Amino acid sequence: MVRKLLEVRNLKKYYPVTAGLLARHVADVKAVDGVSFFIAEGETLGLVGESGCGKSSLGRTLLRLEEPTSGQVFYRGADITSWNKKQLKALRREAQMIFQDPQSSLDPRMTIGDSIGEALLIHGVGTEKERPERVAELLKRVGLEPAHATRYPHELSGGQKQRTGIARALAVNPKLIVADEPVSALDVSVQAQILNLVTDLQREFSIAYLFIAHDLAVIGQVSSRIAVMYLGQIVELASRDDLFHRPLHPYTQALLSAVLVPDPHQKRKRIPLPGEVPSPIDPPPGCRFHTRCPKVMKVCSREMPELKQIEENHLVACHLYD
Amino acid sequence: MRRTGGIFGGRRNLIFSGLMLVLLFIFLLDLFVVDRIFEPFTYFYLFFAPLIIFYGVYPLYANRRLTRYYWDRTKRHRLAVIGLGFIIFLVAVAILGPFLTQDPTQVDFKNKNLPPVGFSSEQSIFDRNTGQLITTETQGTWRHPFGTDDKGRDLLAMLVSGTRISLQIGLMATLIAIFIGLIIGVVSAYLGGWVDNALMRFTDIMMTFPFFLLLVLIVFLYGSSLWFIILVIGLTGWTGTARLVRSETLSLRTRDFIMASKSLGASDRRIVFRHLIPNVMSLVIVIATLSIPGVILAEAALSFIGLGDPTVTSWGLVLHAGQRSLDTAWWIAVEPGIMLFLTVLAFNFLGDGIRDAFDPRSQI
Repeated sequence: MVRKLLEVRNLKKYYPVTAGLLARHVADVKAVDGVSFFIAEGETLGLVGESGCGKSSLGRTLLRLEEPTSGQVFYRGADITSWNKKQLKALRREAQMIFQDPQSSLDPRMTIGDSIGEALLIHGVGTEKERPERVAELLKRVGLEPAHATRYPHELSGGQKQRTGIARALAVNPKLIVADEPVSALDVSVQAQILNLVTDLQREFSIAYLFIAHDLAVIGQVSSRIAVMYLGQIVELASRDDLFHRPLHPYTQALLSAVLVPDPHQKRKRIPLPGEVPSPIDPPPGCRFHTRCPKVMKVCSREMPELKQIEENHLVACHLYD
Repeated sequence: MRRTGGIFGGRRNLIFSGLMLVLLFIFLLDLFVVDRIFEPFTYFYLFFAPLIIFYGVYPLYANRRLTRYYWDRTKRHRLAVIGLGFIIFLVAVAILGPFLTQDPTQVDFKNKNLPPVGFSSEQSIFDRNTGQLITTETQGTWRHPFGTDDKGRDLLAMLVSGTRISLQIGLMATLIAIFIGLIIGVVSAYLGGWVDNALMRFTDIMMTFPFFLLLVLIVFLYGSSLWFIILVIGLTGWTGTARLVRSETLSLRTRDFIMASKSLGASDRRIVFRHLIPNVMSLVIVIATLSIPGVILAEAALSFIGLGDPTVTSWGLVLHAGQRSLDTAWWIAVEPGIMLFLTVLAFNFLGDGIRDAFDPRSQI
């Protein structure tokens, strides 16, 4: 039996759309619309989907950096959606975040050392003398020099900045890190280094990751299980090998058919998806994917398929498998 | 780490609050018990000088390398360096000048309308005894290198005095306006919701407020004083700053480093004072530099139309005095005009330079 570190039940995050002088509430952007999954201790759950499907909103909402509209998030069995400020501050020592854009995730007016040390300062870790030592230690751990502590973000490269962001997240010894597209702003060679660092740290400190990305190759390299998201909902959730070799949902199949393979002779059958992603303000009825699905049936536009276990550890939300 | 140590030993806020409490105590004493311990100007400086030293100059010193980086970028703007040089010169003149020149209010009718050194002018005097018009030519002398006005006052002394007055007005009104604008802008953007709505509508109303009429009214009711002018310009001039600071804060608030701070568990207070305000300060410095010349011109305009404080010799007042004798003694009006022109230009150049230095997108 796996020990669940974090469990999300039917989480929803709607952003209100307002109009007019009196800010009349006219509609909702349904960024996250009823998502359920769990993350076990020390594992990496990959979350993949195209831009605008609600991946980042999900990551922020489950750490309560944004308030969920409804649903529950359990951290070690306790529902954090009802926690107050003080309890949340305790959660911030357990669960951290790594950001996509290393440029904007560091305060341009703070030295690297101050940025990393801020976490220690906020939580009162160590004395004023111990903190610089801890910062130096963290810098070394993520592959930077202790001398970098006095540098400013504009003096570092993109990869170095991302390492700083990782060191900052590590400062409080978290058990869970939400990595929101941590490598998508980096060069491919730097991507590999950062991915290695992330997996090394996981082994060393037994950290669980929610690894958000839009690149299936990246996700495949780090994750043990993968969730595929489309328009605010999870359509398929399976172990990495299962998902790559036997994708069940037509959307996952289409995504996988688009992954580049470094073999020019291999014949690839691509599954083109017609049309555009529908607006999350007014998602299509029934299955969200039915407007673009190559295997659409009559029932798809009427009933919303539930995420069901089809095989062991392989969940899919599709009427094909009813 | 250095931020928490340094010369204040991490107790910067405490020391500053202590100083402010002492100042408040003296002010209350002044108000209710003793009369006139300090002049209003002194209070102003006693409030803003520690504020600037503790939260403006000290961080520059503490983050020497960042300061150096921005200075190197500003330096590449040659006009900005020239502007800064001229402003430093003006400040030196304003501080030291009045001790070196003659009394700018000293009237000397024997030497009226003297031209500047190197110039000569013809003056016609109607001789009552002969009933003839006598035309004499006068030469500028080194005793009055910038010439004299129609009452024989030394123009150099008047301009030096005007430098002090104009810079003081520019600095003070700008400080008041920036201070209010910064607070309203940051609070409005960070809290959002109805607070934002209320503050921004208030700003809109203030923007439509005719400050000129307000000033005319105050001058009519209470007589003109330098303080009224400073206060009216300062208390009505913050609207643009508030709007700019608000929009900058709104864009900063969505940046990941604010989210990162939040995810580290930082309090709202910490986010506002450690992240938002230091990051909008570059914008504020640019606004301040560019608004000082506006204030100086506004005061000159007020003095020119006769609404200025008649007891202090400002550039506007000299300009006002000179307009009547433009045909006979052009230098009285032209000299303060040149000073205004150069000062405004210097501040604008410096402001442009700083803006480019702070803007990460400009590759200068």
